Amino acid sequence: MDFEFSIDNKLHKISLEKKEGGFIFSEGKKTYEVNIHPISPNVISILVEGRSYQVYCVRDKEKRYLSLEGEEFVVQEPEASQEGFEKDEEKSQEDELIVKAPMPGKVIKVNVSKNEKVRKNQTLAIVEAMKMENEIKSTIEGYVKNIFISPGELVDSEKPLLELGLKE
Amino acid sequence: MLRKILIANRGEITVRIIKACQEMGISTVAVYSEADRDSLHVQLADEAVCVGPAPAIESYLNMEKIIQVAHQMKAEGIHPGYGFLAENSDFAKKCEQENIIFIGPNSKALKLVGDKVRSRQTMEKAGIPIIPGMKSIAKDILEFKKEAQRIGYPVMIKASAGGGGKGMRVVYEEKDLKSSLEAGMREAQSAFGDESVYLEKYIEEPRHVEFQALADNHGNIVHLFERECSIQRRHQKIVEETPSPALNPALRAKMGETAKKVIEVSGYNNAGTVEFLLDKNKKFYFLEVNARLQVEHPVTELTTGVDLVHQQISIASGEKLSLEQEALHQKGHSIECRIYAEDPLNNFLPSSGKVLFLKEPKGPGIRHDCGIYSGCDVPIYYDPILAKLIVWAENRELACQRMVNALNDYVILGIKTTIDFLKDVISHSQFKAGKTTTGFIKTYFGEWEGKQKSEKNLEIALIAAAFDSLSSTRPRKGEEALQKEMFSPWQSLGKWRIGGK
Repeated sequence: MDFEFSIDNKLHKISLEKKEGGFIFSEGKKTYEVNIHPISPNVISILVEGRSYQVYCVRDKEKRYLSLEGEEFVVQEPEASQEGFEKDEEKSQEDELIVKAPMPGKVIKVNVSKNEKVRKNQTLAIVEAMKMENEIKSTIEGYVKNIFISPGELVDSEKPLLELGLKE
Repeated sequence: MLRKILIANRGEITVRIIKACQEMGISTVAVYSEADRDSLHVQLADEAVCVGPAPAIESYLNMEKIIQVAHQMKAEGIHPGYGFLAENSDFAKKCEQENIIFIGPNSKALKLVGDKVRSRQTMEKAGIPIIPGMKSIAKDILEFKKEAQRIGYPVMIKASAGGGGKGMRVVYEEKDLKSSLEAGMREAQSAFGDESVYLEKYIEEPRHVEFQALADNHGNIVHLFERECSIQRRHQKIVEETPSPALNPALRAKMGETAKKVIEVSGYNNAGTVEFLLDKNKKFYFLEVNARLQVEHPVTELTTGVDLVHQQISIASGEKLSLEQEALHQKGHSIECRIYAEDPLNNFLPSSGKVLFLKEPKGPGIRHDCGIYSGCDVPIYYDPILAKLIVWAENRELACQRMVNALNDYVILGIKTTIDFLKDVISHSQFKAGKTTTGFIKTYFGEWEGKQKSEKNLEIALIAAAFDSLSSTRPRKGEEALQKEMFSPWQSLGKWRIGGK
């Protein structure tokens, strides 16, 4: 069976076919035999030419989190990740102008007001999470077009905080 | 001896204290906020009571409610852990008035050492070396400016009531003083409920070396040697170890005796830590007393063989110290890594959410003090510490290797953690050489871009993902049937006959 997975925004096309006593893995011209055993719901044992790998795997919506030999990989399903690629390209310009919360937290202070001119790296707002204050800074030089938050408000990760406009 | 203790805290430290209580035959009462109903400490305690909504100010910092619960559950003592009410002298005093034993210092000593300005004055009088800084709280920004000029830039802003890096800021130039003071005061207010801050000289390239002390209620004091905690980010420790590579026996003895004197002149009892800054020339300055059981206490336990929580409870029960200074020795080397829910690739931003999977490292010389489990939620309301990984080995070199291996064997999936970052810190040549200063992270890891991953492992991850996908595309019903088959003894026992021989 063929699979398309993305890891760190890179697409990988592979195939894994079941055969007598194991599997055949191929990616491009490379192909080899793999012995795979599920150990428990989150543990998979993999043997490749006698080399043993213990892989931890857990699924959350469209993402798979895997860990082996102390390294973590976040593997995304093809549909979801491709959508992400397109969105990223389309939105990159727009995204820069929408300032989003980097993590879930509580708005402590909004340092700017509507239509105020802002410099690059100027602090726009302060969001607190887990007892640490984090300054949300402007990535561009421009002005404040819109403010979507007020002090005391709880915000989720990626929630739009402010909209900036480019300097005329 | 106390028979029942309420633990006014959450997370890994509460789990740690519950275990000590269980060993001593003491019943435990956990308190929890509405966000923490499913937390590990609630599950492990003998009894558990909800003390309010998620924000700490309405639950874990709600003194009246916690004291009321202690009475209601007939707890004779309260262990405050670290953070929250641990260094709140008002709370300690309320406990004393309510006839509840506060497992920590007496409220008078706590008030003195908690007031960093007053404690510095006391120490200066007693001949303890201190860092140049403010002698009183400033009234306004002008006075702060004057003081900063007198001390000389760079200056450090510190919260009068706090520790743990909260409210702390370094200011290099006068133009940044006002905004840094404001930020420091806000952080101090939200972390400790007290916005007072003060200034002191910022010593560059220092080491942070602290001494663990124990004092009973009968005037006996011992120290249990040092912990070096120079590896910090945002002025908060992430790696601690003992013995410190910077001390020799003579300096260790001198600093230890100074630490005991600090405890003595403060009228302090129970467990406390005396923090020093050690400069390049091996001159040391008193910083403050941490009037609590510290996050990094396990490295002392593993090298001295003394259980600090047991000691705290015995001392609070009025017993005499059973330890004598001459009989205390350090054995081998111990390192602790703090596992935080933070993203080291993104300025250590907190990473709350669900822990989808946890695998704890195991093996000889490995201790894991942990407050999480597979499937638990990490709420946004509290400190991002998840767990602590502590190793012991015969020497520092082996301890470093053991730590790297244990970190490699440690899996937390679903949220970002400091595990990968810590691996690179412990493996760094300067760390291995023992050249640790408080500027270490900034100097060597300011531009950290994550661990390099191997191509082979990526390939194996793809294989595992494909296999997982194959197994999960099977119809649900069939999968269930398969699971049942797997765990059915009729399948796994093989051929058998009733009464067969």
